[in-house]
Amino acid sequence: MNPFSSLLRRYVFVDQPSPIVKQLPTALAFVGAVIIAALVPDLGFTAPLPAIAGVGGMVLATVLAGTFTASERLTRLALIIPFIDLFAIGLFRMGTGGNTSLFGGLVLLPVLWIANQPERRNILFAGIGTSLALTLPFTLGGMVPQSSADWLRFVITPVIFSIAAAIINEMSRQASRRVDSIHELAEERDVMLRGAVDYAERLSENEDRLRAADRLTRSVLDAVTEQSVIGSDVTGLIDVWNPGAEKMLGLRALQVQGRRFVHEFHVEEELLAWSRELNYPPGETVLNPGFSALVESARLGTAEVRQWTYVRADGSTLTVELAVTRRVDDRGDTVGYIFVATDVTQALEVSRLKDEFVGLISHELRTPLSSILGYLELMRDDDVNPLSDEQLQYLSVAERNAHRLLRLVGDLLFTAQVGSSTFTLDTSVLEIAPIIRASVESAGPTAANAGVELTVTVPSKPISVLGDAQRLGQACDNLISNAIKFTPRGGKVNVTVAIVDSRVVITFRDTGMGIPEDELDQLFARFFRASTATRAAVPGVGLGLSITKAIVVAHHGELDVESEVGVGTSFILRLPINAPVAV
Amino acid sequence: MTDAPAALTVVVADDDEDIRSLIVIAVRKANLTLLADLPDGTAALAAVREHKPDIVLLDVSMPGLTGLEVTSAIRADAELADSIVFILSAAVDDTAVAAGFAAGANAYMTKPFSPNTLAAQLTALIASTAAGPNPALPTPPAP
Repeated sequence: MNPFSSLLRRYVFVDQPSPIVKQLPTALAFVGAVIIAALVPDLGFTAPLPAIAGVGGMVLATVLAGTFTASERLTRLALIIPFIDLFAIGLFRMGTGGNTSLFGGLVLLPVLWIANQPERRNILFAGIGTSLALTLPFTLGGMVPQSSADWLRFVITPVIFSIAAAIINEMSRQASRRVDSIHELAEERDVMLRGAVDYAERLSENEDRLRAADRLTRSVLDAVTEQSVIGSDVTGLIDVWNPGAEKMLGLRALQVQGRRFVHEFHVEEELLAWSRELNYPPGETVLNPGFSALVESARLGTAEVRQWTYVRADGSTLTVELAVTRRVDDRGDTVGYIFVATDVTQALEVSRLKDEFVGLISHELRTPLSSILGYLELMRDDDVNPLSDEQLQYLSVAERNAHRLLRLVGDLLFTAQVGSSTFTLDTSVLEIAPIIRASVESAGPTAANAGVELTVTVPSKPISVLGDAQRLGQACDNLISNAIKFTPRGGKVNVTVAIVDSRVVITFRDTGMGIPEDELDQLFARFFRASTATRAAVPGVGLGLSITKAIVVAHHGELDVESEVGVGTSFILRLPINAPVAV
Repeated sequence: MTDAPAALTVVVADDDEDIRSLIVIAVRKANLTLLADLPDGTAALAAVREHKPDIVLLDVSMPGLTGLEVTSAIRADAELADSIVFILSAAVDDTAVAAGFAAGANAYMTKPFSPNTLAAQLTALIASTAAGPNPALPTPPAP
């Protein structure tokens, strides 16, 4: 509220006039009466002293009204002012003819003030005040009522004034209630207005935030130039098309948004084949079975990345890895899908070349190894010209190294198979103990040559697992072979088997050189070699543990390592007992 | 007095001369009759069609026709229906082995191979041939 409004409200506001405003009509009327009494010859002042006292009383009342108006603390005492007015008017009547004074009507103005107060007792006060003003010439002036009409005037006039006061009081109360209602409504309106302003501000802030979020989303989408991001409604009609999609599929956003469907950029046969595999159409979007199949996983809330063939605008094709996710509204209902595609044509080509390379290496290394090992075997078995012991010893060295080379070729091939996900398991239910015993047994001569004590502790109770005996044997061979290689002469390697929480736990513990703690995380990476192994010139290329880990993981198992440099290392292999295996 | 059974005949094909020689030695150890040893698939198929051997020992990767193509051609030829095809290959993965059998091979052995083991396998073939035509031998595990 501005200062002027506040001032206006304080002094002249119609529903709560200030004391000076209420006093002003009485004072003005009184001044008029004084002027009339002074100027009209027939009237005059019959008793100057009471008339002057009356004028003084009126001045006092007016001054008080001004004072009470200035001080809010005193405003509640303002009701004494009309009584002073009545007293002053009574005195003025005494001085201007007493009971026959022409100015009895002035009484009405302070009575109105009193009656205008909300409390009903003011009706009584108004009556008393009227009587006071009318009887003052008799009570103070020593006059005596001359007739019965005088007596009646003393009684009837206050009664009439009281009735008028009662009516005014009631009207005032009603008006006051209406004003209160208006005030309440005004306050409610103010509250609502403030609420509306707040809401508008919040709305504006939200709008700004939404615009910022929209800009961020657009900038992120625009920044993705190597992946296509396509959005659609539930029917597949495209409504989002980022620069990556433009680049990948050769069409601009304006050419596709609201005009083309997602499945138009797929090879129809691929989609139909997939929809047949899913026995479509069981879903909510049956406009195109291929599209329904395309979004099946996303619709069910399952994240899935599959390879698909995209068809460009010019009809050429490319292989993509496509992730489809669901778009939902505030209630969680599906309103569309997002398709994020990565061109994997190059990656597939690299993978194919790698496979070709590995195949070539495998062939080109295994073929000469076939000759080497085959002819070494023929030399050893030559009964016509048998070799001397020394020659046989040389032959053994050659054979051992040829087999070592063969194992390396095998490891390389296996690693490539793991990398290209073409590694398979030949699973069956098998007992783990014989596999471990066989590995320990075959490593026995190596351990003996290295001066390492190799022991195995296996429970007598049979333990079955579902797995590939050859691959599990390979894993155990690798771990035992490693343990022996990294354990100095006089050390120990111990293999123990136990059942913990429905899993078979095989621990390969050695008292070898150990592995630094900061290298443990990389231990299962391909071609990684621990610094201790390199320093000690232990032969190897760093494939054994990565292969072992891949085998264990394919069996739904875990392979952990604990090690301390100079103390030893423990590899802990955990396998589910007779559990299904991913093939 | 009865005549000794005639030795089974063999055609060998491998582009690596040393390996081919090794196979030939194994063939002799198994007392089989070598009809031809050839360095490429095309010549091998021609020799097979000409001699109609009992056993064909084939490498997979060869100039001209591959061992798998030769095998398929043999299986497509009704006159060669009784020939036993034995593949020797450096390809050891399951896919390659499956492709060999899919082409119609009776046996598949991976390189490197032991000449003694190959000879034993061929001897087993001779024995099983007496029992019936076109035996399918178990595939020895990859070394």
